[in-house]
Amino acid sequence: MRLLLIISLRNLFRQKRRSALLGAAIAIGMAILVIANSFSHGISDLLFNRILAFVSGHVSVAFTQNGNAMRPYFRDGERLMETARRAFPEGSRVTEGVGLFSRAIGNGRSDNVILVGMDTRSKATKKQVADLKANFRMVQGRYEDLQRDDIENPVLVASDKAEYLKLRLGDAVKVRFQDIYGRSQAASLTVAGIFHPANVFMSAPVFLDLRVVRRLAGYGQHDIGQIYVTMPDPKAHAVEAADRLHGMLHPPLAAAFGRLEKAARGAGAQSAGVQAAVGRRAGTQPAAGEASVGQRAGAQPATVLGFRVDSSSLSGLSRLLKPYLPAAMDSLRRTDVLIDHALADSLGLHVGDRCLLRYRAKHDTGEGVADLKVTAVLADNPMVSGHAILVNDKDFYAFYYAEWPLAPTREQGAFLPDSGNALYPFLCREWNLLPRTRTTEELRRKYQDIPGMKSHATTVDVQTMYESASMVVKLEYALNLITLAAVLILFFIIQVGVINTLRMTIRERTREIGTIRAIGMQKSSVRSIFMLETFFLAWFACCAGLALAFVGMALLHLIPFHMEGNPLGMLLVDGHLYFKSNPWGIIAYLALILAIAVGTAWFPSRRAADLPAAEALRHYG
Amino acid sequence: MNIIEIRGLTKDYPLGKTIVHALRGIDLSIAKGDLVSVMGPSGSGKTTLLNVIGCIDLATAGSVKIGDRELTALDDKQVTDLRLHRLGFIFQTFNLIPVLTSTENVEFPLLLQKRLDRKEIRRRAEKLLDDVGLSEYRRNRPSELSGGQRQRVAIARALVTHPDIVLADEPTANLDSATGASILEIMKEMNAREQTTFLFSTHDKNVLKYARTVVNIKDGLIDGN
Ligand SMILES: Nc1ncnc2c1ncn2[C@@H]1O[C@H](COP(=O)(O)OP(=O)(O)OP(=O)(O)O)[C@@H](O)[C@H]1O
Ligand SMILES: [Mg+2]
Repeated sequence: MRLLLIISLRNLFRQKRRSALLGAAIAIGMAILVIANSFSHGISDLLFNRILAFVSGHVSVAFTQNGNAMRPYFRDGERLMETARRAFPEGSRVTEGVGLFSRAIGNGRSDNVILVGMDTRSKATKKQVADLKANFRMVQGRYEDLQRDDIENPVLVASDKAEYLKLRLGDAVKVRFQDIYGRSQAASLTVAGIFHPANVFMSAPVFLDLRVVRRLAGYGQHDIGQIYVTMPDPKAHAVEAADRLHGMLHPPLAAAFGRLEKAARGAGAQSAGVQAAVGRRAGTQPAAGEASVGQRAGAQPATVLGFRVDSSSLSGLSRLLKPYLPAAMDSLRRTDVLIDHALADSLGLHVGDRCLLRYRAKHDTGEGVADLKVTAVLADNPMVSGHAILVNDKDFYAFYYAEWPLAPTREQGAFLPDSGNALYPFLCREWNLLPRTRTTEELRRKYQDIPGMKSHATTVDVQTMYESASMVVKLEYALNLITLAAVLILFFIIQVGVINTLRMTIRERTREIGTIRAIGMQKSSVRSIFMLETFFLAWFACCAGLALAFVGMALLHLIPFHMEGNPLGMLLVDGHLYFKSNPWGIIAYLALILAIAVGTAWFPSRRAADLPAAEALRHYG
Repeated sequence: MNIIEIRGLTKDYPLGKTIVHALRGIDLSIAKGDLVSVMGPSGSGKTTLLNVIGCIDLATAGSVKIGDRELTALDDKQVTDLRLHRLGFIFQTFNLIPVLTSTENVEFPLLLQKRLDRKEIRRRAEKLLDDVGLSEYRRNRPSELSGGQRQRVAIARALVTHPDIVLADEPTANLDSATGASILEIMKEMNAREQTTFLFSTHDKNVLKYARTVVNIKDGLIDGN
């Protein structure tokens, strides 16, 4: 073996020109691959670890009311946060994210800014905090100043934004925005710090403490805005984890169980249901001292269920209930409130009467009230067992979300149809889980379809960075594609180069091959000599290429770019190209090039080894 | 005892549509320790005969025995091993490996044999280089040697494994007559000392005096006279 190595290596250096030519081609190819790979790896590092982690998380759960992105809240937040924490692996960070579009008025200038809430108080590892803070290279003030409460609404502003708005440390900025209920609001923020933005994504928003943004946007104690999850190795695991979380977020049947009573005639003849919602928000909780749930005279235990009102559900349910509806009623309407015959009788309720369901709330200690106006009485039927009211989607969610009911149980006597009940598919769930999508395009279509559902259920949507930022992710794909093209060209060069070089070498050394075969070298060893030669050539060339790549990247990194306002600016860090070499990528390319070179060398080498010795010895060349 | 036994050996070469009968039925016995010269004009079949004996080329018909082994029954691997362990070769054009030094060229067959340790191999190679008078050129590569020096390295390489037979196809043809004579002198000396069988071809009548046995060959047949 040593002998073969010596012969291969010395021959390599004997044919300097030829080796240098092929070697240079391989080296340049390797350098291009490594640079391209480091660039795209750098971009993906930038995207996934520094940008997306802020903008949307690697996986996010977004909420809307009726598909309205300006109403991003979910009423039973802690429950979903808890589910998310269970769905993700060790090392992930599940945080609440809130962003608020606003118009900021600085000193004589105004600009659109997003108020982004930073969760400075939740638990995080040292590394997570360090990574986070690495994005805030403070020029003035400190990142921790976000938590100050001696100044009004402390905010961190990027230096270019501060310059544009002519803001200095300690200045007040007025912001105007709509809260999550669509009401116009204004607030004053105090510049607590100015930082140097590491990339364009850090310039647009201003950063406040999460609690401040929550307060400004009008989030209640149990509401959350969005769930952001950052995780280790998101490229490998984000989609799978999102799918897992999605699977865990299938909404259960929504039901409220309590005591139903007939409302005093004429008392605030509001349209059914809406009152509860309005009532709570206006601060008129049920008066203290009123008898609590279930102790009221003349009240009956009853379960309120919602039914879906999209066209197909409505007609399906109509068909199902037709035999038990009043003869005059052809089909269900989107506004119907159906009460079962027995319950109506026991309370003396008739069509047009209002009734009140008082139920125990999940949050707080209070109770919720659903104010419903009966539109039809349902005859005895096999599907409804127990006192029940079927309420249309809109009226149902109006009280449901106003005061989230404590989940009822069958033990309490609640009527909770199971999936075997024909009604089941038509009943409202606690929320509306949107299907998973894979691309931005699918995501867009999904949101377009929401109004067609005619549902007032809060939509819950699990997204990964691949959908919410698929444009940016596509960029990485594009770069990888370019790299792939380079790889293919390189393969071609290597193949042509290796074959030609070996062909020349073998022709030149035919007599030598004959000699060593005559002396007694086996075919396999002769083959090894040429394969080894190619291997060493490729190896040296790759090493040279690697060195070239690092020099090249260092030089490219020195070039300053001015790309303000250009979307490609996001590929820069501090105005310079950003490379991050990926050891595994480099090893993979090295292995690939060596494999290709040696693989290509196999055939000419075999031909050399198979040369008949007598022929080879007679060869003069 | 005969080290080489050849019976009815023929060798045909296809040449385009015709067939060249390079050897047409050779019967030949060579005794162990002999120093044989194969004589004949150009194209008579000397190289072909030596190649077949040296297991470099295959006979078309007939039998060739080296010692007690019938060559035609062996596969490529066995034939290669036989060359490595029992035969030595000297070529008209010296055929040293250009990237190896004199010592390394001589070591080459021993390294392929893998029977001795590196020290012993080195010792033997240097000893043989001394024997052929090249002790000062151990570290030189073939390109730095004269033709005669190269052929002496080649002789050392052929002898280093103590082969049964050394085959030399016109070993002096590329050398001036004085150098050629010195090469044959060395061969004769080695033959006498080591009892190695030598078989060399030539078309030069002047070298006949070095041979103990002369085989004349003409048009692929042994010339009886
Ligand atoms: N590979 C081959 N293909 C075709 N014909 C061949 C081949 N090798 C040898 N011959 C022919 O066989 C005959 C014998 O050739 P060989 O080389 O053995 O002669 P030689 O005695 O060694 O001649 P020289 O003294 O010129 O070396 C010649 O006619 C030659 O042309
Ligand atoms: Mg010849």
